[in-house]
Amino acid sequence: MTDPQLVARAQEGDLPAFEELVKKYQREIYGLAYRLVLDAEEAKDLTQQAFMQAFVHIKGFRQQAQFRTWLFRIAINQCYNYLKNRKKFGDPVDCDEYVLVGEDSPEEELVAQEDHRRLYAALSRLPAKQRAVITLKLEQGLSYEEISKVLGGTAGAARVNYCQALKTLKKYMQNEDDYEVAVHPYTKMVTRVSRR
Amino acid sequence: MKWRCTLIQRWLPAYPDGDLPSFWQGMVRSHLEKCPACREELAGLEAVIMNLKAAPRPEPDQAFWDNFNRELHLKLAQSVQSAPSVPEPPPARSFKIPYYLLGAPALAGLLLWVAFGYLNPERPGLPPQPQLSQEQKALEKTPAAPRLAAPVPVPAPEKSEAVVMVSQNGHDMHGEDDLDLDGDLDSTLAGMTETEREAFLKKVRQHEKDGSCTRKSLAVSWA
Repeated sequence: MTDPQLVARAQEGDLPAFEELVKKYQREIYGLAYRLVLDAEEAKDLTQQAFMQAFVHIKGFRQQAQFRTWLFRIAINQCYNYLKNRKKFGDPVDCDEYVLVGEDSPEEELVAQEDHRRLYAALSRLPAKQRAVITLKLEQGLSYEEISKVLGGTAGAARVNYCQALKTLKKYMQNEDDYEVAVHPYTKMVTRVSRR
Repeated sequence: MKWRCTLIQRWLPAYPDGDLPSFWQGMVRSHLEKCPACREELAGLEAVIMNLKAAPRPEPDQAFWDNFNRELHLKLAQSVQSAPSVPEPPPARSFKIPYYLLGAPALAGLLLWVAFGYLNPERPGLPPQPQLSQEQKALEKTPAAPRLAAPVPVPAPEKSEAVVMVSQNGHDMHGEDDLDLDGDLDSTLAGMTETEREAFLKKVRQHEKDGSCTRKSLAVSWA
Protein backbone atom coordinates (compact mmCIF):
# COMPACT_ATOMS: atom_id res chain seq x y z
CA MET A 1 0.00 0.00 0.00
CA THR A 2 1.39 3.43 -0.90
CA ASP A 3 1.99 6.28 1.49
CA PRO A 4 -1.01 8.40 0.40
CA GLN A 5 -3.36 5.44 0.86
CA LEU A 6 -1.95 4.68 4.31
CA VAL A 7 -2.14 8.35 5.26
CA ALA A 8 -5.76 8.56 4.07
CA ARG A 9 -6.68 5.55 6.19
CA ALA A 10 -4.77 6.93 9.17
CA GLN A 11 -6.65 10.19 8.80
CA GLU A 12 -9.87 8.24 9.25
CA GLY A 13 -8.51 6.93 12.56
CA ASP A 14 -7.14 3.62 11.35
CA LEU A 15 -4.38 2.82 13.89
CA PRO A 16 -2.90 -0.22 12.08
CA ALA A 17 -2.44 1.90 8.95
CA PHE A 18 -0.53 4.48 10.95
CA GLU A 19 1.59 1.76 12.51
CA GLU A 20 2.51 0.62 9.02
CA LEU A 21 3.83 4.11 8.38
CA VAL A 22 5.70 4.00 11.68
CA LYS A 23 7.43 0.76 10.75
CA LYS A 24 8.36 2.19 7.38
CA TYR A 25 10.02 5.35 8.67
CA GLN A 26 11.08 4.61 12.23
CA ARG A 27 14.71 3.85 11.35
CA GLU A 28 15.16 7.07 9.37
CA ILE A 29 13.58 9.18 12.07
CA TYR A 30 15.60 7.50 14.76
CA GLY A 31 18.84 8.03 12.81
CA LEU A 32 18.00 11.69 12.30
CA ALA A 33 17.16 12.21 15.95
CA TYR A 34 20.31 10.43 17.01
CA ARG A 35 22.49 12.65 14.84
CA LEU A 36 20.81 15.75 16.20
CA VAL A 37 20.80 14.98 19.92
CA LEU A 38 23.75 12.55 19.99
CA ASP A 39 22.09 10.39 22.61
CA ALA A 40 20.63 6.95 21.87
CA GLU A 41 18.03 6.91 24.63
CA GLU A 42 16.88 10.46 23.98
CA ALA A 43 16.72 9.70 20.28
CA LYS A 44 14.34 6.84 20.98
CA ASP A 45 12.08 9.04 23.12
CA LEU A 46 12.13 11.82 20.56
CA THR A 47 11.27 9.39 17.76
CA GLN A 48 8.26 8.18 19.72
CA GLN A 49 7.21 11.75 20.46
CA ALA A 50 7.52 12.65 16.80
CA PHE A 51 5.25 9.77 15.79
CA MET A 52 2.79 10.69 18.52
CA GLN A 53 2.66 14.27 17.24
CA ALA A 54 2.24 13.01 13.70
CA PHE A 55 -0.69 10.81 14.76
CA VAL A 56 -2.38 13.62 16.65
CA HIS A 57 -2.07 16.07 13.78
CA ILE A 58 -2.40 13.75 10.82
CA LYS A 59 -5.90 15.04 10.06
CA GLY A 60 -4.36 18.40 9.31
CA PHE A 61 -1.93 16.92 6.81
CA ARG A 62 -3.25 17.83 3.37
CA GLN A 63 -0.82 15.68 1.39
CA GLN A 64 0.57 18.71 -0.40
CA ALA A 65 4.06 17.53 0.59
CA GLN A 66 5.44 14.05 1.00
CA PHE A 67 4.55 12.32 4.25
CA ARG A 68 8.25 11.57 4.78
CA THR A 69 9.20 15.24 4.53
CA TRP A 70 6.39 16.21 6.91
CA LEU A 71 7.56 13.58 9.37
CA PHE A 72 11.15 14.83 9.17
CA ARG A 73 9.94 18.29 9.97
CA ILE A 74 8.06 17.13 13.05
CA ALA A 75 11.06 15.13 14.25
CA ILE A 76 13.43 18.04 13.75
CA ASN A 77 11.12 20.37 15.67
CA GLN A 78 11.01 17.86 18.52
CA CYS A 79 14.80 17.71 18.52
CA TYR A 80 15.12 21.50 18.46
CA ASN A 81 12.84 21.75 21.48
CA TYR A 82 14.84 19.10 23.30
CA LEU A 83 18.13 20.82 22.50
CA LYS A 84 16.75 24.15 23.59
CA ASN A 85 15.68 22.71 26.94
CA ARG A 86 18.98 20.92 27.37
CA LYS A 87 20.86 24.10 26.69
CA LYS A 88 18.61 25.92 29.12
CA PHE A 89 18.86 23.45 31.97
CA GLY A 90 22.37 22.20 31.24
CA ASP A 91 23.25 18.71 30.19
CA PRO A 92 26.80 18.57 28.86
CA VAL A 93 27.55 16.22 26.02
CA ASP A 94 30.25 13.64 26.56
CA CYS A 95 31.55 12.73 23.13
CA ASP A 96 33.18 9.53 24.35
CA GLU A 97 29.73 7.90 24.54
CA TYR A 98 29.25 7.98 20.80
CA VAL A 99 32.18 5.81 19.68
CA LEU A 100 30.42 2.65 18.60
CA VAL A 101 32.81 1.30 15.99
CA GLY A 102 34.32 -2.11 15.46
CA GLU A 103 37.04 -2.24 12.80
CA ASP A 104 39.25 -5.05 11.63
CA SER A 105 42.67 -4.58 13.16
CA PRO A 106 43.29 -3.00 16.57
CA GLU A 107 45.44 -0.22 15.06
CA GLU A 108 42.82 0.70 12.50
CA GLU A 109 40.22 0.53 15.19
CA LEU A 110 42.15 3.00 17.30
CA VAL A 111 42.58 5.40 14.38
CA ALA A 112 38.94 5.12 13.42
CA GLN A 113 37.88 5.63 17.02
CA GLU A 114 39.94 8.78 17.22
CA ASP A 115 38.51 10.05 13.93
CA HIS A 116 34.97 9.36 15.04
CA ARG A 117 35.55 10.92 18.43
CA ARG A 118 36.76 14.08 16.76
CA LEU A 119 33.86 13.97 14.31
CA TYR A 120 31.23 13.66 17.03
CA ALA A 121 32.92 16.31 19.13
CA ALA A 122 32.92 18.65 16.14
CA LEU A 123 29.31 17.76 15.33
CA SER A 124 28.25 18.55 18.87
CA ARG A 125 29.72 22.04 18.49
CA LEU A 126 27.78 22.76 15.31
CA PRO A 127 24.52 24.67 15.55
CA ALA A 128 21.49 22.38 15.45
CA LYS A 129 20.33 23.65 12.07
CA GLN A 130 23.66 22.97 10.43
CA ARG A 131 23.75 19.52 11.98
CA ALA A 132 20.27 18.89 10.63
CA VAL A 133 21.16 20.02 7.12
CA ILE A 134 24.26 17.81 7.05
CA THR A 135 22.30 14.80 8.26
CA LEU A 136 19.47 15.35 5.82
CA LYS A 137 21.85 15.80 2.90
CA LEU A 138 24.48 13.15 3.54
CA GLU A 139 22.60 10.46 5.44
CA GLN A 140 18.98 10.79 4.32
CA GLY A 141 19.96 11.81 0.79
CA LEU A 142 17.44 14.64 0.48
CA SER A 143 17.80 17.21 -2.26
CA TYR A 144 18.14 20.90 -1.43
CA GLU A 145 14.53 21.39 -2.46
CA GLU A 146 13.37 18.76 0.02
CA ILE A 147 15.68 20.11 2.72
CA SER A 148 14.16 23.54 2.23
CA LYS A 149 10.69 22.02 2.74
CA VAL A 150 11.81 20.38 5.97
CA LEU A 151 13.79 23.25 7.44
CA GLY A 152 12.05 26.17 5.79
CA GLY A 153 13.59 28.74 3.47
CA THR A 154 14.62 28.24 -0.12
CA ALA A 155 16.68 25.59 -1.88
CA GLY A 156 19.46 28.14 -2.40
CA ALA A 157 19.49 28.91 1.31
CA ALA A 158 19.70 25.19 2.07
CA ARG A 159 22.71 24.86 -0.23
CA VAL A 160 24.48 27.82 1.37
CA ASN A 161 23.69 26.39 4.80
CA TYR A 162 25.09 23.01 3.81
CA CYS A 163 28.31 24.52 2.39
CA GLN A 164 28.78 26.61 5.51
CA ALA A 165 28.10 23.64 7.78
CA LEU A 166 30.61 21.42 6.03
CA LYS A 167 33.33 24.05 6.10
CA THR A 168 32.67 24.72 9.78
CA LEU A 169 32.77 21.00 10.54
CA LYS A 170 36.11 20.65 8.76
CA LYS A 171 37.50 23.58 10.71
CA TYR A 172 36.26 22.17 14.02
CA MET A 173 37.73 18.77 13.25
CA GLN A 174 41.12 20.32 12.50
CA ASN A 175 41.05 22.38 15.67
CA GLU A 176 39.46 19.78 17.87
CA ASP A 177 42.57 19.11 19.96
CA ASP A 178 43.09 22.81 20.63
CA TYR A 179 39.43 23.09 21.56
CA GLU A 180 39.72 20.16 23.97
CA VAL A 181 42.59 21.84 25.78
CA ALA A 182 40.80 25.17 25.83
CA VAL A 183 37.53 23.80 27.15
CA HIS A 184 38.88 21.25 29.59
CA PRO A 185 41.78 22.55 31.68
CA TYR A 186 44.84 20.41 32.43
CA THR A 187 43.59 19.04 35.73
CA LYS A 188 40.32 17.87 34.18
CA MET A 189 42.16 16.27 31.29
CA VAL A 190 44.37 14.38 33.73
CA THR A 191 41.31 13.20 35.62
CA ARG A 192 39.64 12.03 32.43
CA VAL A 193 42.75 10.14 31.35
CA SER A 194 43.31 8.54 34.73
CA ARG A 195 39.72 7.30 34.87
CA ARG A 196 40.26 5.42 31.65
CA MET B 1 44.53 33.66 -0.45
CA LYS B 2 43.35 35.36 -3.54
CA TRP B 3 39.91 36.83 -3.74
CA ARG B 4 39.06 34.32 -6.48
CA CYS B 5 39.93 31.41 -4.17
CA THR B 6 37.69 32.86 -1.45
CA LEU B 7 34.86 33.12 -3.93
CA ILE B 8 35.35 29.58 -5.25
CA GLN B 9 35.73 28.00 -1.82
CA ARG B 10 32.30 29.21 -0.82
CA TRP B 11 30.85 26.73 -3.32
CA LEU B 12 33.33 23.88 -2.91
CA PRO B 13 31.23 21.66 -0.58
CA ALA B 14 28.44 21.46 -3.15
CA TYR B 15 30.81 20.84 -6.07
CA PRO B 16 31.40 17.05 -5.78
CA ASP B 17 27.66 16.26 -6.06
CA GLY B 18 27.19 18.56 -9.03
CA ASP B 19 24.53 20.53 -7.15
CA LEU B 20 25.84 23.91 -8.28
CA PRO B 21 24.33 25.96 -11.07
CA SER B 22 26.01 25.16 -14.36
CA PHE B 23 27.86 28.50 -14.45
CA TRP B 24 29.44 27.96 -11.05
CA GLN B 25 30.12 24.30 -11.78
CA GLY B 26 32.23 25.35 -14.79
CA MET B 27 33.93 28.15 -12.87
CA VAL B 28 34.92 25.85 -10.00
CA ARG B 29 36.13 23.13 -12.38
CA SER B 30 38.34 25.49 -14.37
CA HIS B 31 39.67 27.09 -11.18
CA LEU B 32 40.54 23.74 -9.57
CA GLU B 33 42.67 22.82 -12.58
CA LYS B 34 44.88 25.83 -11.88
CA CYS B 35 44.81 26.27 -8.08
CA PRO B 36 46.51 23.68 -5.81
CA ALA B 37 45.29 25.39 -2.62
CA CYS B 38 41.66 24.98 -3.61
CA ARG B 39 42.32 21.35 -4.64
CA GLU B 40 43.69 20.76 -1.15
CA GLU B 41 40.65 22.40 0.40
CA LEU B 42 38.39 20.20 -1.70
CA ALA B 43 40.29 17.10 -0.65
CA GLY B 44 39.85 18.09 3.00
CA LEU B 45 36.10 18.56 2.53
CA GLU B 46 35.77 15.22 0.77
CA ALA B 47 37.60 13.58 3.66
CA VAL B 48 35.08 15.08 6.08
CA ILE B 49 32.20 13.81 3.93
CA MET B 50 33.75 10.36 3.78
CA ASN B 51 34.24 10.41 7.54
CA LEU B 52 30.62 11.39 8.06
CA LYS B 53 29.32 8.70 5.76
CA ALA B 54 31.57 6.11 7.35
CA ALA B 55 30.60 7.10 10.87
CA PRO B 56 28.69 4.31 12.51
CA ARG B 57 24.99 4.83 12.56
CA PRO B 58 23.08 3.48 15.47
CA GLU B 59 21.63 0.22 14.28
CA PRO B 60 19.53 -1.16 17.09
CA ASP B 61 18.60 -4.81 16.96
CA GLN B 62 15.16 -6.25 16.37
CA ALA B 63 14.42 -6.51 20.08
CA PHE B 64 14.89 -2.73 20.36
CA TRP B 65 12.36 -2.12 17.59
CA ASP B 66 9.90 -4.63 19.02
CA ASN B 67 10.08 -2.82 22.34
CA PHE B 68 9.83 0.54 20.56
CA ASN B 69 6.71 -0.50 18.63
CA ARG B 70 5.06 -1.98 21.71
CA GLU B 71 5.58 1.21 23.73
CA LEU B 72 4.42 3.39 20.86
CA HIS B 73 1.34 1.24 20.30
CA LEU B 74 0.36 1.64 23.95
CA LYS B 75 0.83 5.40 23.79
CA LEU B 76 -1.16 5.69 20.57
CA ALA B 77 -3.99 3.52 21.92
CA GLN B 78 -4.10 5.66 25.08
CA SER B 79 -4.22 8.84 23.05
CA VAL B 80 -7.05 7.45 20.91
CA GLN B 81 -9.09 6.48 23.97
CA SER B 82 -8.42 9.40 26.28
CA ALA B 83 -7.89 12.36 24.05
CA PRO B 84 -10.95 14.21 22.81
CA SER B 85 -11.40 14.25 19.11
CA VAL B 86 -9.00 16.63 17.49
CA PRO B 87 -10.91 19.41 15.79
CA GLU B 88 -10.77 19.02 12.07
CA PRO B 89 -8.93 21.74 10.23
CA PRO B 90 -11.12 24.26 8.46
CA PRO B 91 -11.83 23.24 4.87
CA ALA B 92 -9.62 24.80 2.31
CA ARG B 93 -11.23 27.74 0.56
CA SER B 94 -12.13 26.85 -2.98
CA PHE B 95 -11.99 30.50 -4.05
CA LYS B 96 -8.50 31.45 -3.03
CA ILE B 97 -7.94 35.18 -2.75
CA PRO B 98 -5.51 36.64 -0.26
CA TYR B 99 -7.25 38.27 2.65
CA TYR B 100 -5.61 41.62 2.00
CA LEU B 101 -7.21 41.66 -1.46
CA LEU B 102 -10.64 41.09 0.05
CA GLY B 103 -10.17 44.27 2.06
CA ALA B 104 -9.98 46.48 -1.06
CA PRO B 105 -13.56 45.87 -2.29
CA ALA B 106 -14.79 46.16 1.28
CA LEU B 107 -13.11 49.55 1.60
CA ALA B 108 -14.51 50.68 -1.75
CA GLY B 109 -18.00 49.64 -0.65
CA LEU B 110 -17.62 51.55 2.60
CA LEU B 111 -16.49 54.69 0.77
CA LEU B 112 -19.41 54.45 -1.65
CA TRP B 113 -21.83 54.05 1.23
CA VAL B 114 -20.41 57.11 3.00
CA ALA B 115 -20.43 59.20 -0.17
CA PHE B 116 -24.00 58.16 -1.01
CA GLY B 117 -25.08 58.94 2.52
CA TYR B 118 -23.71 62.50 2.28
CA LEU B 119 -25.04 63.17 -1.18
CA ASN B 120 -28.50 61.80 -0.47
CA PRO B 121 -30.66 64.55 1.08
CA GLU B 122 -32.95 62.01 2.74
CA ARG B 123 -30.46 60.39 4.98
CA PRO B 124 -32.15 57.73 7.03
CA GLY B 125 -30.04 58.18 10.14
CA LEU B 126 -30.66 61.92 10.62
CA PRO B 127 -33.78 63.60 12.05
CA PRO B 128 -35.82 65.54 9.50
CA GLN B 129 -34.70 69.13 9.19
CA PRO B 130 -37.43 71.74 9.56
CA GLN B 131 -38.22 73.47 6.32
CA LEU B 132 -36.88 76.98 6.43
CA SER B 133 -38.80 79.68 4.78
CA GLN B 134 -37.03 81.99 2.43
CA GLU B 135 -37.18 84.75 4.98
CA GLN B 136 -35.52 82.62 7.62
CA LYS B 137 -32.78 81.69 5.22
CA ALA B 138 -32.25 85.31 4.40
CA LEU B 139 -32.01 86.13 8.10
CA GLU B 140 -29.59 83.32 8.76
CA LYS B 141 -27.32 84.60 6.06
CA THR B 142 -27.21 88.02 7.78
CA PRO B 143 -27.12 87.22 11.48
CA ALA B 144 -25.59 90.54 12.47
CA ALA B 145 -28.47 92.51 11.08
CA PRO B 146 -30.68 94.24 13.65
CA ARG B 147 -33.99 92.62 14.38
CA LEU B 148 -36.13 95.53 13.46
CA ALA B 149 -34.16 96.65 10.51
CA ALA B 150 -35.69 97.77 7.34
CA PRO B 151 -37.67 95.04 5.74
CA VAL B 152 -35.76 92.88 3.40
CA PRO B 153 -37.08 93.25 -0.10
CA VAL B 154 -38.62 89.85 -0.44
CA PRO B 155 -41.70 89.16 -2.43
CA ALA B 156 -44.68 89.85 -0.32
CA PRO B 157 -46.85 86.92 0.56
CA GLU B 158 -49.84 86.53 -1.67
CA LYS B 159 -52.22 86.42 1.25
CA SER B 160 -51.01 89.00 3.72
CA GLU B 161 -53.93 88.61 6.10
CA ALA B 162 -53.23 84.97 6.70
CA VAL B 163 -52.55 83.93 10.27
CA VAL B 164 -51.73 80.61 11.71
CA MET B 165 -53.10 80.04 15.13
CA VAL B 166 -51.38 77.53 17.27
CA SER B 167 -53.20 76.31 20.30
CA GLN B 168 -51.61 75.09 23.48
CA ASN B 169 -52.81 71.58 23.05
CA GLY B 170 -50.91 71.26 19.79
CA HIS B 171 -53.80 71.41 17.32
CA ASP B 172 -53.36 73.55 14.30
CA MET B 173 -56.04 76.16 14.07
CA HIS B 174 -55.68 77.45 10.59
CA GLY B 175 -57.79 80.33 9.80
CA GLU B 176 -59.75 80.76 6.67
CA ASP B 177 -56.74 82.35 5.07
CA ASP B 178 -53.78 80.12 5.59
CA LEU B 179 -50.37 81.58 6.30
CA ASP B 180 -47.67 79.27 7.47
CA LEU B 181 -45.73 80.97 10.24
CA ASP B 182 -43.98 78.00 11.73
CA GLY B 183 -43.75 79.89 14.97
CA ASP B 184 -41.17 82.46 13.83
CA LEU B 185 -43.11 85.66 14.12
CA ASP B 186 -40.17 88.04 13.71
CA SER B 187 -39.26 86.77 10.27
CA THR B 188 -42.86 87.02 9.24
CA LEU B 189 -43.12 90.57 10.50
CA ALA B 190 -39.88 91.53 8.82
CA GLY B 191 -41.29 90.58 5.46
CA MET B 192 -44.45 92.71 5.88
CA THR B 193 -45.20 96.28 5.07
CA GLU B 194 -46.32 98.63 7.84
CA THR B 195 -50.01 98.21 7.18
CA GLU B 196 -49.77 94.49 6.89
CA ARG B 197 -47.88 94.33 10.16
CA GLU B 198 -50.48 96.33 11.98
CA ALA B 199 -53.27 94.18 10.62
CA PHE B 200 -51.42 91.06 11.60
CA LEU B 201 -50.77 92.24 15.16
CA LYS B 202 -54.34 93.29 15.51
CA LYS B 203 -55.52 89.85 14.58
CA VAL B 204 -53.14 88.23 16.99
CA ARG B 205 -54.36 90.46 19.85
CA GLN B 206 -57.89 89.65 18.96
CA HIS B 207 -57.17 85.95 19.16
CA GLU B 208 -55.43 86.50 22.48
CA LYS B 209 -58.57 88.10 23.82
CA ASP B 210 -60.62 85.17 22.54
CA GLY B 211 -58.28 82.81 24.31
CA SER B 212 -57.64 80.70 21.26
CA CYS B 213 -54.01 81.77 21.08
CA THR B 214 -51.46 83.08 23.58
CA ARG B 215 -48.18 84.79 23.13
CA LYS B 216 -46.44 81.98 24.92
CA SER B 217 -47.71 79.47 22.47
CA LEU B 218 -46.16 81.32 19.60
CA ALA B 219 -42.71 80.54 21.08
CA VAL B 220 -41.13 83.72 19.87
CA SER B 221 -39.66 86.66 21.65
CA TRP B 222 -42.26 89.00 20.35
CA ALA B 223 -42.99 92.01 22.47
